[in-house]
Amino acid sequence: MATQTLTRPKQNQTAEDKIQQLRQAFADAPEFAKTALENTLRDLASAAAQPRSRMESAGRTGSRQGTVSELTLIAPFARGGAARLRAVLQARNGNYDDTDKVGTVHDMRFVFLDNDTKLLFATAFDGDWDAYIDDFVAKIPNELDVFFSACEGWPGTHNPAVRDWIANHQVTAEGWYVAHPDLTVRDITRVKRVGKAVEEFLDKIG
Amino acid sequence: MLSVTESVGQTLSTRSPALETSDIQATVLRPRPSPYLGEYVVFRIGDVGQGREMLRRILPHVAPADEWWVPSLPGWLGIAFTFEGLKALRVPQASLDSFPIEFRQGMAARAAILHDFGANAPGNWEYPFGTADMHVALAIYAQDEQNLQRVLELARKTHHDLPDISLVYRLPFGSLPEGRNPFGFKDGLHNPQVEGSSPAGPAGNEAPIKAGEFVMGYPDEKGETAQTPIPEELRHNGTFLTFRKFHMDVAAFRQYLRAQASSPEEEELLAAKMVGRWRSGAPLVLAPDHDDPALGADATRNNDFGYADDMKGLKCPFSAHIRRVNPRDALKNDIVAVNLHHFLRRGTNFGPPLPEGVLEDDGAERGGVFLLIGAHQQRQFEFIQSQWVTDGNFISHGTEQDPIIGNGEGDGVFTIPKRPVRRRLQGLPAFVTVRGGEYCFMPGLRALRWLADLSS
Repeated sequence: MATQTLTRPKQNQTAEDKIQQLRQAFADAPEFAKTALENTLRDLASAAAQPRSRMESAGRTGSRQGTVSELTLIAPFARGGAARLRAVLQARNGNYDDTDKVGTVHDMRFVFLDNDTKLLFATAFDGDWDAYIDDFVAKIPNELDVFFSACEGWPGTHNPAVRDWIANHQVTAEGWYVAHPDLTVRDITRVKRVGKAVEEFLDKIG
Repeated sequence: MLSVTESVGQTLSTRSPALETSDIQATVLRPRPSPYLGEYVVFRIGDVGQGREMLRRILPHVAPADEWWVPSLPGWLGIAFTFEGLKALRVPQASLDSFPIEFRQGMAARAAILHDFGANAPGNWEYPFGTADMHVALAIYAQDEQNLQRVLELARKTHHDLPDISLVYRLPFGSLPEGRNPFGFKDGLHNPQVEGSSPAGPAGNEAPIKAGEFVMGYPDEKGETAQTPIPEELRHNGTFLTFRKFHMDVAAFRQYLRAQASSPEEEELLAAKMVGRWRSGAPLVLAPDHDDPALGADATRNNDFGYADDMKGLKCPFSAHIRRVNPRDALKNDIVAVNLHHFLRRGTNFGPPLPEGVLEDDGAERGGVFLLIGAHQQRQFEFIQSQWVTDGNFISHGTEQDPIIGNGEGDGVFTIPKRPVRRRLQGLPAFVTVRGGEYCFMPGLRALRWLADLSS
């Protein structure tokens, strides 16, 4: 679904131009940062000369690398929301195994910002959430409401405005690294299973 | 802690109102005749006054869906409009703006979502698909040539003296012997049951789907009733349809089977594994080892199955065409609400059959037309095409596509679960190529009158 490249360099902009711009951007940086920049310039130059065209837009907001998309959401807590969400998260004792059922979530984190006034929710997942949002609403409405009702203005899972609420609070990552952009969560599960079987086979014949 | 809600809208106990079939177009609910003949006809409206005049003349001939379950109509026509067509009819801007995004953009603009790349890309489509010249489409179905000519003549008289109504496309079609598709498989065997649409549903073990999934004005599977497009007079009893024409390379299909199999029996088995049914229509789940023509011909049994007893895919592969496009209960352990992803199939085949046993392409154009009807194309056709047909992640098959209608470019794979080890076919050619497509709005009969009576 990805159509546009967010990191596409300006036409005709050479790696030298980009390094020149970098040096200008660092003009008011501390001396040690300037030194650090110069020390890393060789690597940066090669990265700048070979932009990763696979970083693309993931639906309306967010970016995507290969099959993996990122979603970063920052929203103010509703009154009492921080305490409620903290209680919900602590009750889990760190166990989020039920998320396995979704089958497309690589990771998920809940970070409380600015003295418990804002939530930062960040996740990496396969595909586009847009395509599956109706399925999530239909199948796991309680989970979504328990988490996100902590935030101000959460319209409730069954409200069609929920797509807009998410999009309006989403912030696209400026930079993002994915080790295996070509592997989905389900691919990894499969590859692990195949790898285990191969190891067992090798153990037997070795 | 993750308590999966069993079915959508289960808390909504209100019974759906009966469908107002006298205001819904026949094409929405009525199965095509068997055997069938017909033609798709597309017009461009060069003048708003003439466009509305054509509508006024055609109105009395647009068939309603009354008693759709009785095979009594010798021939009928349905009418639908593209977004460009509604603009040409000068539908008010506020109304135009209220249509769903995929309809406003048109199918060509959705290529990235639909994975229409390479040979399937809109740049390679036939005229007028993907252009602004496609305005009004007629779908004419008939039981025989005489009735087809009669309906075509009615259609011709609605515009023959209107010089600014131009005929931009015609596609005649007809069924092949024994109701087979060009690949040689009996088709048209499954359609969802629309709740409240008839006194008695067809045989099968499937629960009916809420009418609002297929016609606007009734509650859908989310418990919602469509609020757009506006005004209500325009949307009530209307729906959307996906029109998509594709060429079938029957010779390539036969050659591939020949190359992969060591006997004619194995060729048939591989073909059935790809489709999910044998050529007779007998489903693999019910007839895993051999074709069962009696089962295939029995309408009370050939669609009465699920995948609960085949969760390893040993009978019907996960990747088989019919298991992908209509997973039934196969995804019951996943966070997927399958009832949100259905459409009514009113498609047809076109072109001459490639004679039995011929392995060389004769250059003839033959294939199929999807005419898929649903009130929510984004989570119906577009979801099925992007998530289930052109991807394999939902069944843990990586990027593997539908072996029959995937948009591969000759590098496809097809996985057949098997004991002790699965078999994987490589180098699957693209057996179908998209020739063009468009999203259309199919209004109810009163809404057609509303469109015809608009004044500038």
